[in-house]
Amino acid sequence: MNLPSATACKNNQPTTTAPRLSLACLGVCCLLPILAGCGQTPAATFRPNMVESAKQRLQPEQEQQVATILEAMFGTPDNPVVLPETGLDIAKLRLAAGPVHSDIVGRKNGLFREHCSHCHGVTGDGMGPTAAFLNPYPRDYRPGWFKFKSTERADKPTHADLVTILNNGIYGTSMPSFELLGETKVDALVEYVKYLSMRGEAELSLMRYYFELDDEDEGKLPETRDFLIEEILLPVAERWQEAEDAVIEVPEMPEVDLTESIAMGKELFYGNKANCVKCHGVTALGDGQANDYDDWNKVVKQWSAELQSAHETSTSDMTSEERSEHRAWLAKSDRVLAGDALDPRTIQPRNLRQAIYRGGRRPLDLYYRIHAGINGAPMPAAAGTLSPDEIWHIVNYIRSLPYEFDGELGADRSMVARDRL
Amino acid sequence: MVQPSLRRPLLTLLGSVLVALPVCAQAAEWGSISGRFVYDGDAPTPPKLTVDKDVDVCGKHNLVNEELIVGEDKGIANIVIFVRDRKIDVHPDLKATEPVVLDNLNCRFAPHVVFVQTGQDLLIKNSDPVGHNSNVATLKNPASNTLIPASGETKVTFRSDEAVPAAVTCNIHPWMKGWVVVRDNPYAAVTGEDGSFTIEKLPAGEVELQFWHEKAGYLDSMVINGKKTSVKRGRMDVEVEADGTDLGEMVLDASVFK
Repeated sequence: MNLPSATACKNNQPTTTAPRLSLACLGVCCLLPILAGCGQTPAATFRPNMVESAKQRLQPEQEQQVATILEAMFGTPDNPVVLPETGLDIAKLRLAAGPVHSDIVGRKNGLFREHCSHCHGVTGDGMGPTAAFLNPYPRDYRPGWFKFKSTERADKPTHADLVTILNNGIYGTSMPSFELLGETKVDALVEYVKYLSMRGEAELSLMRYYFELDDEDEGKLPETRDFLIEEILLPVAERWQEAEDAVIEVPEMPEVDLTESIAMGKELFYGNKANCVKCHGVTALGDGQANDYDDWNKVVKQWSAELQSAHETSTSDMTSEERSEHRAWLAKSDRVLAGDALDPRTIQPRNLRQAIYRGGRRPLDLYYRIHAGINGAPMPAAAGTLSPDEIWHIVNYIRSLPYEFDGELGADRSMVARDRL
Repeated sequence: MVQPSLRRPLLTLLGSVLVALPVCAQAAEWGSISGRFVYDGDAPTPPKLTVDKDVDVCGKHNLVNEELIVGEDKGIANIVIFVRDRKIDVHPDLKATEPVVLDNLNCRFAPHVVFVQTGQDLLIKNSDPVGHNSNVATLKNPASNTLIPASGETKVTFRSDEAVPAAVTCNIHPWMKGWVVVRDNPYAAVTGEDGSFTIEKLPAGEVELQFWHEKAGYLDSMVINGKKTSVKRGRMDVEVEADGTDLGEMVLDASVFK
């Protein structure tokens, strides 16, 4: 009998020779890695943003061009490269990048893969092996949106904001504290998160730019310094650098009696001006608005709806060439949706009765959340609409909510907020 | 290979500056482009929206889904037409000074599609007795989402143009949807109820137009003056005559909006 090929192993049809076949398969499968290089794992690679690629209907050679440009700009997971325009520190990145190993002076490298990649993925796409089992999903850094920070809604977080997240973890989610790693390692990891985020945003800009090309470009992005640096990299990098000077100024809490402040906060919470009640609910249990999506999930949700209607589009008007192109795109998109995106989930407004605040429980943290809103989430910014004093009153009211007893609880209304959901 | 070209000397910064600032160099002659989009098929009745928030205020306006509005005379409203050319002479009269208004009115965005230039203020108002928020999902510009109480307003400005119109939504009233078109020159228009549009005071000569509709995306094919015209990615070269260019009736088959 001939040794079955590797493909025959994969497409193992039930036949009378099945036992022998699977034995042979076992042999081949065990041998192959050895033949390939004595059990060495292949070098880690960054995963392309396939959802965006499919949305933009990129051709394989265009995907290849994006990969080539990104590698020139950012290097590989094992060997990061940074251009001076990013303002990133390569020494810190080297500590975080690559496989887990000790460097020449015995210092441990590969911190991101050791501590972060299981959830956030080697690419920082929030799709590590454990991602699908977690709720909320791990953050996908690639669109460059970060929620918990001291800057205005659309601004990037400061370096210190990300350090705080790593040190404290995110209460109410699967994100643990990494404080025990110590300052140097946390600092290196934050630098690496910024690196992955800049890379992800540059990738998105590149992929979206094909649409803007003129016919004479023949579907190819210009590879000039002017284009790659000025149009693609700098707009991303500058916004990270600007964040350091864009921390929200927070005036002192007004000097009024706390009970009075809470009462004013309550009025604002339920009133038409601050409108907190619309999403967080009359009960403040976070049950006011249950059908919304955050921006990460919305991308997948909307695209899958578009894809659905594309499936229903009649192809009778298409030429045979257009039709086969359309079908190939649909097939690719379906594959991408199944393999490169997590099932979209709705976002729940925070239940304010539990005293679990993801971005930190200090009054200052709550002030930032209300002032700037939460980037990437439906929570809008109140700055400009509410005065700082009014924001402080709401902060005080919110902090009182987990302990509030308004006498309306009874046998049919459990004392424990969680049970009332 | 990319690496060597990355090391190429910086050609010029001027290119990006030119894009950002409309150049007031003078074309010899100016003209307009006009046309009218027409729906081929039975005008669809826009479906009613489910209004389940602030029902006492929003429920009385008989709100409908506005993603495809076809008028009595088959004109298609809310088609966006803009000039794609990155470097174009701008007529001195067209300097944008006044802010563009996007109102939250009767629990919908008015107008449904709004056009604003880079650097120009977009004034988002709320004329309703209930609070709204306006979540502008721009791609190149930082996305914004501000709380706007009854009779309140907020200003948004955009640094960069947007290749695709950005959706604006209200997270409090999920049925609300509008669009913001951001370009870095004044040459864009949105069709009215009758399907017609005019872009005025364009420099005479060839320009490249792009057509977009929220349900159809970029309009790939249309029948212009009885002739089926394929417009790749919604793009079409048009000659601007000094005495005006009228593209006439541009007919879109109902299947375009399926």
